Amino acid sequence: MAAGAPLITFDKVWKSYGQGEAKVHALAGVDLAIRRGEFVAIMGPSGSGKSTAMNIIGCLDTPTAGTYSFMGVDAGRLDRNRRAMLRNLYVGFVFQGYNLLARTTAAENVELPLIYRGVASRERRDLAMQALAQVGLVGREHHTPAELSGGQQQRVAIARAIVTRPTLLVADEPTGNLDTARTHEIMELLTRLNRELGLTITMVTHEADVAEYAERTIRFLDGHVASDSTKLEVAQP
Amino acid sequence: MIWETVRLSLRSIRRNVLRSFLTLLGIVIGVAAVIAMLTIGSGTTQKVKADIAKLGSNLLVVRAGRPAGPGGPGGLDQAVRPLAEKDLAALVAHLSGARAISPASQKQVRVIFGTESLTSGVTGTDSAYLDARDWKLASGRPFSDSETRSGTGVCLIGETVRQQFFGAGDPEGETIRVNRTSCKIIGLLEPKGYTGFGQDQDNVVLMPLHAYQRRIAGNRDIDNIYIAADDRTPTSELQPRVEDILRDARRVTPDRESDFAIRDMTQIADAMASATTTMTGMLGAVAGVSLLVGGIGIMNIMLVSVTERTREIGIRLAIGAHEKHILIQFLVEATVLSLLGGIIGILIGLSLAGLASVTLTIPFAPSPAVILLAVGFSALIGMVFGFFPALRGARLDPIDALRHE
Repeated sequence: MAAGAPLITFDKVWKSYGQGEAKVHALAGVDLAIRRGEFVAIMGPSGSGKSTAMNIIGCLDTPTAGTYSFMGVDAGRLDRNRRAMLRNLYVGFVFQGYNLLARTTAAENVELPLIYRGVASRERRDLAMQALAQVGLVGREHHTPAELSGGQQQRVAIARAIVTRPTLLVADEPTGNLDTARTHEIMELLTRLNRELGLTITMVTHEADVAEYAERTIRFLDGHVASDSTKLEVAQP
Repeated sequence: MIWETVRLSLRSIRRNVLRSFLTLLGIVIGVAAVIAMLTIGSGTTQKVKADIAKLGSNLLVVRAGRPAGPGGPGGLDQAVRPLAEKDLAALVAHLSGARAISPASQKQVRVIFGTESLTSGVTGTDSAYLDARDWKLASGRPFSDSETRSGTGVCLIGETVRQQFFGAGDPEGETIRVNRTSCKIIGLLEPKGYTGFGQDQDNVVLMPLHAYQRRIAGNRDIDNIYIAADDRTPTSELQPRVEDILRDARRVTPDRESDFAIRDMTQIADAMASATTTMTGMLGAVAGVSLLVGGIGIMNIMLVSVTERTREIGIRLAIGAHEKHILIQFLVEATVLSLLGGIIGILIGLSLAGLASVTLTIPFAPSPAVILLAVGFSALIGMVFGFFPALRGARLDPIDALRHE
């Protein structure tokens, strides 16, 4: 899918915590736009506001002031359940700690978002198998997280994120717990999903070589966007 | 969706078998106690009613002395004037609505046959007694009117007396000694069994009233007059008529209290049954308190469960679960848990009641309504006490929940 209309827009977004003197601004008037199909790395030191920005992007959190629009919807003004619906329909999440349900098989973990969407059991199973195939985990459907390696667990998490065919994938340090070889594999997988499915990806990382996989890198500092750089398009063979 | 949730909750219950079992214990004990109490209670009520029916239903019993009441029976101001034959005659002559009217005087007397002896309840009465008490003869014949009038030495014996003296043999025509007088057995009474108060109703000897008065009591008193109402007349209607006739016959002036008492066995049966029911209800209520304690146990463990699974809740919320999904998940878990406890409790309660019915020789009377109520109530406890923890889980902020360790 060609990069087109902005999928995500921050318009002077503020996020503040506390009251009066103790007030802290995690985000201080951030303007930002991300188009469909982009692969964006978000970097910055801790306390820079990158996690807050990601929570707002993933519709988990809402701005204190300013407007956050997602797919043209003013997502910052929606209530909990509407944001949950939005997440269920359009957003997939990948976390640093995988966050799979323990003692639950890979297939059942992948099916989870479909349950909340009200998909029938047989169709759920089929879709989960497809998603597991896309992340290269055929034959591991009935393993529980404890029986899988870290890289495999993250693949299950990615399968769970893409099983609903979301528009946006929000990845929070997806390789933070993995060694170099596994990191490389997971990043290859995300890149492939971005290219082949046209999946928009926003990914928080603090490793420069991981950010290298993204086309665009946004750096946060003290609640502001410090830099926003897009790689020169490398001609594809 | 609901089936998914039930499966999910069963899985989480299985994961913590010991913890789930300990949580259930409160509900199990509560429900078992309630079920056992109510089942044993209704068995006892049935037994009491059956016992009273054995004494004779629709029966009025008249005895001398003032009615029991404040001040107690037989006050000091007035010597008890016994019932006499003219009182009986007045009733027989004037009372309508009675099926049978019969006098009876009783005494515990030593009865001897050969070398065997037995202390037995000896009753002097007439041939209407069997009808009044709803008692049948297993064999032989009742007293004839002439035997009653002349006080011939004949008698009817109960099953216990027969077994003591004759085993399984035929007692008819044999002669036993009752308090130095001999009497010939002319019939055997059908067995009645024990009363609820442990009294053997078959350890009896019946003989004509005049024979009893002359040879055993040594007076001409009548202890009781039994009056059985006919099918069309309720005892409550019969009672005032009896009172009027007897006051007249005994010349009790209108300004004085009756010097005799009329007991209505139907009323006594009802009173006893309702006393048993009240008792059962009270015990059931006490047992119900332990259900409350069980419910609090469920609340406690569900709070632990929600805290323990905060991260899981965070994941579910992040991938699109609504508040109500989380709420339902934990509510179903609590309900399944307490329902399970309820079902185990019912099985244990019924077993206890079954055991009690054997040892106490009362009927085993499980009530489907009570069982259904216990099932519903234990499910309700799960819902009520699971609601607060479930709500706490559902209200969690997904960001905080995901950060939870």
